[in-house]
Amino acid sequence: MVGLNEEVNKIRNGVLRMANTFDPSVRDFLAGRIWLRLHTPFPIETIDAHIQSQHIKTIPGIKTTKTYANQTRHICNRCENTIQSRFTTFDCAKCEGPCTYCRHCLKMGRVSTCTELIVWNAEQPIYPTNHTLAWQGILTPRQQQASNELTESNTKRIPHLIHAVCGSGKTEILFEPIHKLLLAGKRVCIAAPRVDVILELEPRLRAAFPETAIEALYGGAETTTDSAQLILATTHQLYRFRHAFDAIFVDEADAFPYTAEETLRRAVRKAAKPEAPVHFVTATPSDKLLNEIKKTGQISTINRRYHGHPLPIPRYDSLWNYTKHIQKGKLPKKLNNWTEERLRRKEPFLIFFHHIGLMEQAELLFKQLDTRIHAVHASHPDRKEHVQALRNKEVPGLLTTTILERGITIPNVQVAVVGAEQLIFNKGALIQIGGRVGRSEQHPSGDFVLFHHGITYAMDDAKKEIIQLNKGGVPN
Amino acid sequence: MNDCLLCEQKIASVPSWKALLALEKQTAICQDCSKKFQRADIKEEDKLLDQVTSLYTYNEAMREYLHQFKFLQDVALASVFANELRTLLKGDPTIVPIPMHPEKRIERTFAPVDELLKSARLPFTHLLEKTGMEAMGEKSKEQRLAVKPLFRLKPGTSVQPSTYILLDDIYTTGTTLRHAATVLKEAGATRVEAVTLIRAER
Ligand SMILES: [Zn+2]
Ligand SMILES: [Zn+2]
Ligand SMILES: [Zn+2]
Repeated sequence: MVGLNEEVNKIRNGVLRMANTFDPSVRDFLAGRIWLRLHTPFPIETIDAHIQSQHIKTIPGIKTTKTYANQTRHICNRCENTIQSRFTTFDCAKCEGPCTYCRHCLKMGRVSTCTELIVWNAEQPIYPTNHTLAWQGILTPRQQQASNELTESNTKRIPHLIHAVCGSGKTEILFEPIHKLLLAGKRVCIAAPRVDVILELEPRLRAAFPETAIEALYGGAETTTDSAQLILATTHQLYRFRHAFDAIFVDEADAFPYTAEETLRRAVRKAAKPEAPVHFVTATPSDKLLNEIKKTGQISTINRRYHGHPLPIPRYDSLWNYTKHIQKGKLPKKLNNWTEERLRRKEPFLIFFHHIGLMEQAELLFKQLDTRIHAVHASHPDRKEHVQALRNKEVPGLLTTTILERGITIPNVQVAVVGAEQLIFNKGALIQIGGRVGRSEQHPSGDFVLFHHGITYAMDDAKKEIIQLNKGGVPN
Repeated sequence: MNDCLLCEQKIASVPSWKALLALEKQTAICQDCSKKFQRADIKEEDKLLDQVTSLYTYNEAMREYLHQFKFLQDVALASVFANELRTLLKGDPTIVPIPMHPEKRIERTFAPVDELLKSARLPFTHLLEKTGMEAMGEKSKEQRLAVKPLFRLKPGTSVQPSTYILLDDIYTTGTTLRHAATVLKEAGATRVEAVTLIRAER
């Protein structure tokens, strides 16, 4: 069988070469991508034939230049990382010399000096122009306005920021603008820094655009030869795209690690076509982003939730020396009472911690109240299952790190932060955490308590901004 | 201040006189990551190996480490255990790394065991070479012991009547090390010890 396939490939490649033509499935896969030459879903001979006929161009993995001071400077041609400490040079047995690789995008297959990357170098695929928007909901007037403004920015090809409070129906605002792009045969990407956000978006977009080829890309998702017109991807996955999209929507634009990493920002820019706009959607834009968009693009602000009820205002409650208490094996009284109250009233709850170690110590104590209470964090293997169990009301509540601060919706959830004075709980994080509360029409409010060992500016700023938003003001 | 090679967090350096005088060893990984590795410190001996020392257990953190180092080819990770290896191995006896098959080495672009030693700034000599490509994993224990020698003396090298220390990344059954020790002893070595970074439970 293998032999036969080889023969078929040989003949096919020979034919391709002679006719100076190409395999459309190779084009469809590679268009807009930058890929490791040796790790495509196609036989190596097929790729080689396309390189020979110049339908595929090769690019060295790492570009190394000498600075004036005669120091070397490396750039990764895949992720565009330029942080020199994120490169390692070693004695390579393959290219028999000093070889440099990028540690930044290592997990997608190592790119080194002697690694070749490939890009599509011929005519681009044509994407379908027949798409249906099956979403039946109705936008509030404010949502509709933002949606129209976003379409306008697409026409003008300028960046747009949708600054919308948590629970204001941000995704629905995107539907019409995306539909218009798809109808024009444009390729579109929704990128989010966190895989949770992608996983929550995927079913909603598949339902909204039932006729559109949609692909969700995140670490662990398998590589297919698909060439979806609408791509949902974690920002990391965009390292492997280049000049692919006519518009990119970055959802939850401020979430770690996007703001933290300049390289990710550049990766998003690189994934977009040179003239294509990159839009942002978030409840808590950084000052930097606000200033940037004010200069170059357009901002739509939505300060009302879709159900029209105000955002829950955080209440402060002191929890002095909570770390010591928990370490000594005692749940602080107020925290204990708060949790028992939730259990008694059968209200689902999330309790946020700043530190995994402390959270896991506390988990044992919470289990004495109810054995079904679990702790989850970023690398917890059963994170998805536990969150689903909370939605299904199979568990009464979860302890979590800031990983669940956004992207999850659980009706009637009550939220507590333990150690709200900790640095990690900055204004944006606290607003996002509060945004989990009162999202549904049936339960438009709920408790949002900040247990603290001292009040910080971040806590006050978050509270101030929420009050301001509720008054209808535009935060600055 | 540098970043942890494993979790990329800044490594918090406590200002101290030792650090100021640069007496403190540079660490490649942070406290939190380093705590995840579990020391085994197993020392034992058998007929062929005069002493085998294994530094760490094969726990989850170590499994991930090996995956990133060998499979994802993150050569930089060779330095994670440099201080520990150096403390244990610096001294007189000649260190002999367990060799890789040349083709495999080119395919992987580096020999992990050699890189561990280079990172620890320990001198070493390649006295052995691999005889064939067959992987050990597919054979039963009996088969493994019955197979032809895994190593032979590298042409042009000589073995002195002295002590040699073999180095390998992981000790599973010990067959690899025993094969290597046999070659060295037959060539005249008086004592052959071995050090492995990891000891796998069987
Ligand atoms: Zn890179
Ligand atoms: Zn190389
Ligand atoms: Zn670390």
